[in-house]
Amino acid sequence: MHSVNILDYSLQSSQGNTEETLKSMRDKSTIISSKGVSTLDGNIKIPYYLFQEKIEENPDDIKRAIKKVVQRISDKLSVEQRKNTSLIIGTALVDKNVVKAVVDTIYDYKKKPYDSAKKSIDSFAKEISEELGLNTFTMTISTACTSSVNAVLEARNLINSDIIEYAIVVGVEVFSQMMSDGFSSMRLLSSDIQKPFDVSRDGLVLGEAIAGVLVGKDSSPWSLRGGYSNCNSLNITSVSPSGEEYAEVMNKAMDLSEVKAEEITTLKAHATSTPTNDMSEIHAIQKVFTPDVTFTALKPYVGHTLGACGVLELAMLMSCIDDGFIPQTLNHKHSIIEEYVPLQESKECYSGIFMLNYFGFGGNNTSIIIQKESK
Amino acid sequence: MKLYVKAWSGYRGSLKDFDVKKELKSKYKLDTRRQDTFIHLAVYGAQLLKDKTPINSHDELYITSGVGNIDVLQKTNNYVQEEKDFIKPFDFINMLGNTTSYYVANSLDLKDKNTFQVSDNFTYINTLISVFASLKVSKKEAILGSVDLCTEPEEVIKRVLGLDENTNVTSSVTYQKLSLSPLNAVAEVEFDAKVYSLNEIKALVRDSDLNIVSSMRCEDLELYKDSEFFETIPSYYLNQAIKTKIDLLYIDCFENSYKVIKVVNLL
Repeated sequence: MHSVNILDYSLQSSQGNTEETLKSMRDKSTIISSKGVSTLDGNIKIPYYLFQEKIEENPDDIKRAIKKVVQRISDKLSVEQRKNTSLIIGTALVDKNVVKAVVDTIYDYKKKPYDSAKKSIDSFAKEISEELGLNTFTMTISTACTSSVNAVLEARNLINSDIIEYAIVVGVEVFSQMMSDGFSSMRLLSSDIQKPFDVSRDGLVLGEAIAGVLVGKDSSPWSLRGGYSNCNSLNITSVSPSGEEYAEVMNKAMDLSEVKAEEITTLKAHATSTPTNDMSEIHAIQKVFTPDVTFTALKPYVGHTLGACGVLELAMLMSCIDDGFIPQTLNHKHSIIEEYVPLQESKECYSGIFMLNYFGFGGNNTSIIIQKESK
Repeated sequence: MKLYVKAWSGYRGSLKDFDVKKELKSKYKLDTRRQDTFIHLAVYGAQLLKDKTPINSHDELYITSGVGNIDVLQKTNNYVQEEKDFIKPFDFINMLGNTTSYYVANSLDLKDKNTFQVSDNFTYINTLISVFASLKVSKKEAILGSVDLCTEPEEVIKRVLGLDENTNVTSSVTYQKLSLSPLNAVAEVEFDAKVYSLNEIKALVRDSDLNIVSSMRCEDLELYKDSEFFETIPSYYLNQAIKTKIDLLYIDCFENSYKVIKVVNLL
């Protein structure tokens, strides 16, 4: 087993900062906005979990927002600790630096004088690290909806190999017109609300979020017991309805974490509320767990935050357990499988072993196991 | 840190006279639909590796790149932003970084860890570090692919790579199969997380009896430099060292900081 500890977390979601997001889960009340997307039927408004403070779709604004979350964590570290802390980002964001270079170059009426500076999707991490005195080793992982949870596993590897001492792993997703239109073109968006594992589910609602966790070997009540990530290279957008590919990842994550299914206190499902993904996941849950398993979904509180959901939902679950409860699954009435019903009422819980599922486009599927020791 | 190279492959050069898609279809009988040139190039390099060495379905896969799939971003931006057309589902999917690694995994029948990652500084060497850290935990072997596509107009890629306007850029795909075990390895590659200053790197150069190549970005070092640039060029020189059986010290540079890889042939 190759565990590391989770030492701190901070998040910014459509519901606000860590405390405000926790309050929305405790009160079961969420704020949801809307955005326009292009469809064959013209522009339509779709529900969207947007930041209360708008972030423009440009690199400077996005960087400023990421830095704010990173700084909440790095400010608690000493100068020496910061030097030994790498910033690793997980995101599905389109690289706006490349888009800008395209626009500045190829359209005569927009053409800008030649100007060149090394930029990539990792420039956020590199520049923020320099500004906050963090380690120069940075990395950005882009594996769709598993981006930031895979970044957590990469951080675990780097720490266990003594290459770095700490890592701040950040999940980032802000509104992107192109991404939203892309999801719309695939007919994956709900026009209403997300209904995880419900027979009437009709799609996902996108959301913005930036969330960070600090991982390292210092003592903490929270540990990352382990996890497993693989690639189902047979289908780029889904797995089989039987969910066997998801079940394989969940079982392997437990093996590597030396945990048995009956020891899992709660499963945080990926639960996108799309007809196919939820069908596969509920069948995977059925294969791995007995019907008395406690499982819940967090996306109805904050939306599907794509590359950010790995760290965001990890931080959300940790904040709930630190507050003494497992949040109920909102908007659920009739389960796809009668015997497997997501948590209907929030439940008291202060510690335990938790599995978190994340499944994404490109065949990337990941499950991790975290634990909070009881006092 | 040390990794052992079990096999390597690569293609470098302009794609104006070389039809990668056609090669994938005719030689490898692969389905190339719904993919674009960046993906084709990545898959092509992977097939060249597969020609040389057995691939285990549980080998880990890493794909890295200087700037990723510019091709699809340029095309999509044009028809969505300029022509006000709707985004096509497969262009949307191809914009995701891991779509490339998916198609590579698919072509090699890989089923394990699969990641697409980018480091702004020392793209290739930082990915080597990542591979090393992962293999230490998993005890498996890894396939590392480095893909850089030079699109037209070249000015776009030069703008995002921080290059002088007159720099020659080209396309490249390189792969290595890497392991922590020296068994059946053709070379070892040594690297570390340390970032060297100019003085430190000059001392390293002075004390080294290896053949030395430096990145075009190492402006303060009077050493051999390639006449063309692509971000993952250290990977190309790693392969060249094995191909020519000449041990090598490659020096990469980013904003006055330096990192090195040392390649030693074992055969």
